[in-house]
Amino acid sequence: MLTTALILVPLAGALVVWLLPWSRFAAGSIALLVSLVEVGLWITALAGFDFGESGLQDSARASWFSDLEVSYHVGLYGFSLWLVGLTVVAMAAAIGYGLWAERERARTYFGLMLFLTGAVVGVFTAQDLLLFYAFFEGMLIPLYALIGVWGGRGRQAATIKFVIYTVAGSLLMLVSIIVFGLSQGTFDLVDSGTSDSPWLFLGFAVAFAIKAPLFPLHGWLPDAYRESPPEVAAVLSGVVSKAAVYGLLRIAIAKFPEPADDFRLTILVLAAVGLVYGSFLAFRAPDVRGVIAYSSLAQMGLITLGLFAGNSSGLNGAVLQSVVHGLVSTTLFLLAGGIERRASTGELASLGGLAKGRPLLATMLMTVGVIALAVPGSAAFAGEFLILAGVFDQGWVWAVIGAVAIVLAAMYVLRLISAVLHEREGSAVPSEALDLRPAELGLLVPLVACLLALSAWPAAVTDRAFSDGDVRTLQAVQRGEEDGSAFLAALRDGDGWAEYAPIEEDAP
Amino acid sequence: MSVAAWICLLAPLAGAFAITLLGDLVPRRVAGLVATASVAASFAAAVFMFVTVLGLDGEERQRLTTAWNWLSVGDLDVGLSLLVDPLSVMMALIVAGVGSLIVAYSIGYMAGDDEERRFFAYMALFVFSMLLLVLAGNFLILLAGWGLVGLSSYLLIGFHHERPSAIAAAKKAFIMNAVGDAAMALAFFLLVYETGTLDYLTAFERVDGLSSTVVNLVALGLLGGAVAKSAQIPLHTWLPDAMEGPTPVSALIHAATMVTAGVYLIVRAHPLFEAAPSVQDLAAGLGAVTIVVAGLIALVQTDIKRVIAYSTMSQIGYMFLAAGIGAYANGMFHLMTHAFFKALLFLAAGVVIHALVNEQDMRKMGGLRRLMPRTWIAMLIGGLALVGMPPLSGFFSKDSILASALATGDGYGYVLFAAGLLGAFLTGVYTFRLLFLVFGGEPSGFVREHLHTEHGEGPRWMTAPVAALAVLAVVGGGVQVAGIWHPLADFLDSIVAVDRESLALVEPTVTQDWVTSILAVGAGLLGIGVAWLIYGARRVAAPRMAALRNPLERKLYFDELYQAVFYYPAVGIARGWTRFVEGPLIGGSISGVASATRELGRGVGHAQTGYLRTYALAIAAGLAVLAMVFVSVR
Amino acid sequence: MNGPDVTWYLAVASILFATGALGVLLRRSPLIVLLSLEIMLNGANLALIAFARQQGDLDGQIFALAVMAVAASEVVVGLGLIVAMARRRLVLDVDELTTLRG
Repeated sequence: MLTTALILVPLAGALVVWLLPWSRFAAGSIALLVSLVEVGLWITALAGFDFGESGLQDSARASWFSDLEVSYHVGLYGFSLWLVGLTVVAMAAAIGYGLWAERERARTYFGLMLFLTGAVVGVFTAQDLLLFYAFFEGMLIPLYALIGVWGGRGRQAATIKFVIYTVAGSLLMLVSIIVFGLSQGTFDLVDSGTSDSPWLFLGFAVAFAIKAPLFPLHGWLPDAYRESPPEVAAVLSGVVSKAAVYGLLRIAIAKFPEPADDFRLTILVLAAVGLVYGSFLAFRAPDVRGVIAYSSLAQMGLITLGLFAGNSSGLNGAVLQSVVHGLVSTTLFLLAGGIERRASTGELASLGGLAKGRPLLATMLMTVGVIALAVPGSAAFAGEFLILAGVFDQGWVWAVIGAVAIVLAAMYVLRLISAVLHEREGSAVPSEALDLRPAELGLLVPLVACLLALSAWPAAVTDRAFSDGDVRTLQAVQRGEEDGSAFLAALRDGDGWAEYAPIEEDAP
Repeated sequence: MSVAAWICLLAPLAGAFAITLLGDLVPRRVAGLVATASVAASFAAAVFMFVTVLGLDGEERQRLTTAWNWLSVGDLDVGLSLLVDPLSVMMALIVAGVGSLIVAYSIGYMAGDDEERRFFAYMALFVFSMLLLVLAGNFLILLAGWGLVGLSSYLLIGFHHERPSAIAAAKKAFIMNAVGDAAMALAFFLLVYETGTLDYLTAFERVDGLSSTVVNLVALGLLGGAVAKSAQIPLHTWLPDAMEGPTPVSALIHAATMVTAGVYLIVRAHPLFEAAPSVQDLAAGLGAVTIVVAGLIALVQTDIKRVIAYSTMSQIGYMFLAAGIGAYANGMFHLMTHAFFKALLFLAAGVVIHALVNEQDMRKMGGLRRLMPRTWIAMLIGGLALVGMPPLSGFFSKDSILASALATGDGYGYVLFAAGLLGAFLTGVYTFRLLFLVFGGEPSGFVREHLHTEHGEGPRWMTAPVAALAVLAVVGGGVQVAGIWHPLADFLDSIVAVDRESLALVEPTVTQDWVTSILAVGAGLLGIGVAWLIYGARRVAAPRMAALRNPLERKLYFDELYQAVFYYPAVGIARGWTRFVEGPLIGGSISGVASATRELGRGVGHAQTGYLRTYALAIAAGLAVLAMVFVSVR
Repeated sequence: MNGPDVTWYLAVASILFATGALGVLLRRSPLIVLLSLEIMLNGANLALIAFARQQGDLDGQIFALAVMAVAASEVVVGLGLIVAMARRRLVLDVDELTTLRG
């Protein structure tokens, strides 16, 4: 029930905003209110969630096409709970930014944002493949409109690229879904078993690799991130990319353990390349958004490394890093939006000296920046450490590449910070540019507070992403008593896997 | 005791938060007072811990306190834990004690600066980070403190962020430290993989079971981090540039505390290093090389702070040497005394700089002896302690290290000993070169014009800590007198994590102590004499020696080397990939798809001839086909 | 039943149909194309009626009536188009009217 509410509340809110003749401020306020209610709902779900229990929680099921065994089946796992949390918080911040930025055609805009919220939450909670696909595509429509209408000068080209890439991937995924569903006899993720078809795996994997994005399928990324309005870029980079992470974990890896193993090396290589490539390109990107965009590419490569590390350390790290990167990316893009409003440009060559007389802006950018570069002690560092420690199992090479990426991250983040804040006031910076306004602070402070809280206690997420049963299974995996498919089988079995007992007897 | 540990750690953090949140609401002076008070509270807590630890003995002397589970790596749980034992307590005392003196000094030094509050927030943050580092109970929290210390250093070096040189120096420091961080992280991955733990005590127990390759790699990674943090060759180029930060920053971070973190790490992880003897020898060797090279470069510096910076590098070389040969207590002893006299030197230099309206070039100074007598005395004390003249503190600590080198008995030890003696000579030369240039002779034109001492040599906030440090520099050596009494060594003995009674690997005999002291003092006096000849009495002109001088002035071209090997290739790769990979990838793929679609459309479009009869024929033909299919299927 | 066999009627119908088809495909004047189309339709009608007569079922004749009605309307539209074209002084040659060429 709670899960369905989490999906339907924003959709209902979207309808309300669209259909009734609100003023711009009213539409925005209602949207913000709905998004905050959504956050409240999530907190309720969090409070009621039993992290010790394995399997799907807060689930709801209703039959849709019974002859194909397609149903409306939604529910939450530990890790999807955290991803939903990231979604609602980031969307609330983005809607708040849209309200503050006084977007034109407010009713359409806020309706689309709310619709997007509902669609993304749907992606994270759907347990039926066709339902998942519906929500996955449902994310695309509002994004297309949001970028295409409210975006920057090159928005047409950016949108077209974005749509072509995404839809190409989605088509592959649709084919895989259909074949998988028909061969399994059901489209339900919890009920269906695994398959060892590499083609089906690739269909899913390519679609998610485009969404994440993973090198070299990232062609849509720079333009989309540059031309979107800042809050949409924040959502794209922070939230929508995590849909790919979720898909890879819940579908590609869990349902296709053998192909995942077969393709592991290839994917690790591509992820590592993306990590290094994105870092280098971020180091020389000429504008604020470019740095954040390529850094996103690098971070998604890192998260993918964690996903395919094949052990609990990597998976926990991937989940934690997804949440952390989502928050960091959202904050950075919102800050970038603020900077662009003040200086009318994001070009680093024209910026500089923003720290003088604007301590709030400087502190905020510095704080998020150092968390972004994963300074030891931060949540991002915890995630990165877990991922690299996990992928070390696959070979020391990956960890060395990760270590190199640590240094590169320091280089590009410090370059960004200095180019924006330090030295002489840039040519585009008006000296009367204001410090962060209370509205901006209201958006950014909660995000940064979450990040700082996670930095003090990363175990909040990592200890609670996969239940104890999962962990015991994984420990057995690491002790070599089981092979990797056991954990994923546990994920697959969903409700019924309390019966998965082999290691219960000698549980530590 | 656990409570004291948490108070010690968190007081400065609370101070930093308070200053940040209060912001403009409180006068600038209050920020400084809050910072000083919080660090002083930390010191009080550290004293409490010290007294408590003294009251216990042996095994009892270590207490691990965990707040909550910070992270779980597979089977391993890493808690947010603090370890209270003699080593961490000693470091906490030094950090908080010297730190509070320096923060108090900053109240005077930074008075009038617009951004005073930010400075004190950063200083408090730094003290917190350093305490986290030394009080950490496992390697991951140590790494967290390590990284935060690097961050604070970046913030403080780049404090005057309108200055491009300051920003460049800050970035350089952070990135070099990041390289060290990455090396340490790799070591930790290996450690987790092989031993399944990051706790100090558990990891040290499991060291025996590891293969020598693994131990060597882990130790090498740790050494890499230590070398970067302590600015030893070859990762030293950031330290001289770090002098762009305000003087109290140089005193606190780049003399007394942050740069000593590497030494602390080696002592803390001594079981690991002892299991990897070649790496430990490497540490000693790097220390020895740094002693000499840094000493040489210091001879040609013209900036007063840079001389002291290179001197720091050199002195930490001594500490690395000590840690490398297993004379841990002696290394820690020198760490402590060095904190006193080096901070003293920096702070006194700060008084001079402050009085000369921020001028740091020694060539413009001179004759301050009579104009700033108290500062002159302070720097003289600091300088003598640095050179190792009895009965000042430096004499006892430095000579104990040299004696230990002699006591190792093997050829390598003798080489280290020789390097140490050469270092003592060089220290005498550059230190007294500084003193003579700044304080000796007649007041220079610049001094006559700009010196303002109407209100005394400096504000009370500045002169009092200097005086306190001067006292410490004099008496600090009393804690350990070779051969007579060694309470410090005894105190630290209980941290030894492997099966032996005393912590030290070598114990010099009384003869060796005497021989060393005579030789070291002699070398120091010789250096002072040379300095007096050239810079004091001006009897002899400084030798030109261009072949030696030029490379030294260019700091042995390390900066150029690193630029060429790391920075330019990085920029080149980034640019190259942007043009040749990203361009085609983004533009190319999409335009490829677009043109393919267009071609396909054009191809199919040929069927639209526009002629009626074509369409009619098509209809007819299609119908015919359908009919045939229909008939045949039926 | 008296009269010729169904086959003869079908033969005439197919000759009509073929003539009409050839006319549609080969003639250039739209008016002639339209005429040929009418001939085709008549051919089809004849076949329909012949079969209806043979089956004894009236459905074919009803269908033929419907076809005649549709043919009439279609001729109206077609002739209207041709008159419109002539009024605009367009060349009445289907080979020249290729604006919809892809």
